[in-house]
Amino acid sequence: MGENPISIHVLGICSALAITTKIDTAVVMTLAVVAVLSISNTVISLLRNKIPNKVRIIIQMSVIASLVIIADQILKAYMYDMSKLLGVFLGLIITNCIVLGRAEAFAMQNSPGKAFFDGLGNGLGYGTILIAVAFFREIFGFGSIYGGQIITDQMYLSGYENNGLMILSPGAFFILGLIVWVHRSYTKVIDKE
Amino acid sequence: MRSDIYTVIFTLMVTVILGLFISITADTLRSKQEINEALDIKKNILSVLGFSQSGVQWTSDKIQSIYENNIKEIIIDSKGNEVQNPDLPDGDVLKIYQSTENNGSVSGYAIPISGKGLWGTMYGYFAMAPDASTVKGITFYKHKETPGLGGEVDKDWFKNNFVGKKLIDGDGNLVSIEVVKGYVSNSDPNASHKVDGISGATITGKGVTTFLKEDLQKYEPYFAKIRKLNQIDSL
Repeated sequence: MGENPISIHVLGICSALAITTKIDTAVVMTLAVVAVLSISNTVISLLRNKIPNKVRIIIQMSVIASLVIIADQILKAYMYDMSKLLGVFLGLIITNCIVLGRAEAFAMQNSPGKAFFDGLGNGLGYGTILIAVAFFREIFGFGSIYGGQIITDQMYLSGYENNGLMILSPGAFFILGLIVWVHRSYTKVIDKE
Repeated sequence: MRSDIYTVIFTLMVTVILGLFISITADTLRSKQEINEALDIKKNILSVLGFSQSGVQWTSDKIQSIYENNIKEIIIDSKGNEVQNPDLPDGDVLKIYQSTENNGSVSGYAIPISGKGLWGTMYGYFAMAPDASTVKGITFYKHKETPGLGGEVDKDWFKNNFVGKKLIDGDGNLVSIEVVKGYVSNSDPNASHKVDGISGATITGKGVTTFLKEDLQKYEPYFAKIRKLNQIDSL
């Protein structure tokens, strides 16, 4: 937990804002990132002694990009509605700094086994935050948890309203800020000046 | 330091292998994806024509069977004549989806609509009752409008506003439906041709007004005939 990519390194914020309005999209996104990250880490680690230093970033990018395209194709074939919801953001895993960051910082120096688990761990850490943000946004924005309505019609009739801000990106900023704050004060991580 | 030739060869090999993987995946999954896309379009057509029952999850077989039994695709040319063998270029033919009850009587017509919103082209379907004037429904299956603002176009509260509105005025002229800014006032004599707008999404609303009218005009020759036939029938 001390090395969470979002709350400690503040990486991958873009997608964390975009696809966390509901928990189910966040879960699918998490699975996609975990798959891409662990496979790309493994592949790059396997190639790490062969990759010429000059073009290493390009090679890393091509491996990641190919995996993302494949993930996108699979989603389109088996979870069409979900792929419509995720839209362009699934493709944007390519530009997610976490993936390239782990490839460059970890997979290039470590054995495939270690790199695989590093990818898995970072992916899940990323996913934990995504799902946490989505959890709060879905409750306050739609009054439901994982699609199941928890705010009853009775409560809407007596004047309760969903918070529209939570559905928009700024809502994610607030929640993400709070999560980073809580997590950092709990783990006592402070940026060095 | 490795030689440049090694770098080039290595990069080439990686690219070729990755490219191969992508092509294999894309190729094996293509037919499945096409089925999904076609199904999604059919689902939209059915729901705009009022077949959808909210809360019930449709299986793909169910969609297929309802579609095959109840929807007839009609192709017309720009003059409103039915075309049997559409060998015209794509832009010149117009598609109409006619829905029928189980007893064979026509229950509505749906047409594809598309045009500019605020951020990009919006795509959807528009359906009317057999009188070719009363609105049955509208749906958007692809758009890039801001969630919570223009994105509300695909929400039920907005779409339901259209239901029951009239496309045709008392003299039989096409007036289409206008998305107004704010609410439609009850005292407005033209209230039956107007729907409430989305606050904060004036441009999206204007876009819908514009392309809905344009698209309806393209189909007007055909629907004018339908209305005439209806009149003769009722005499």
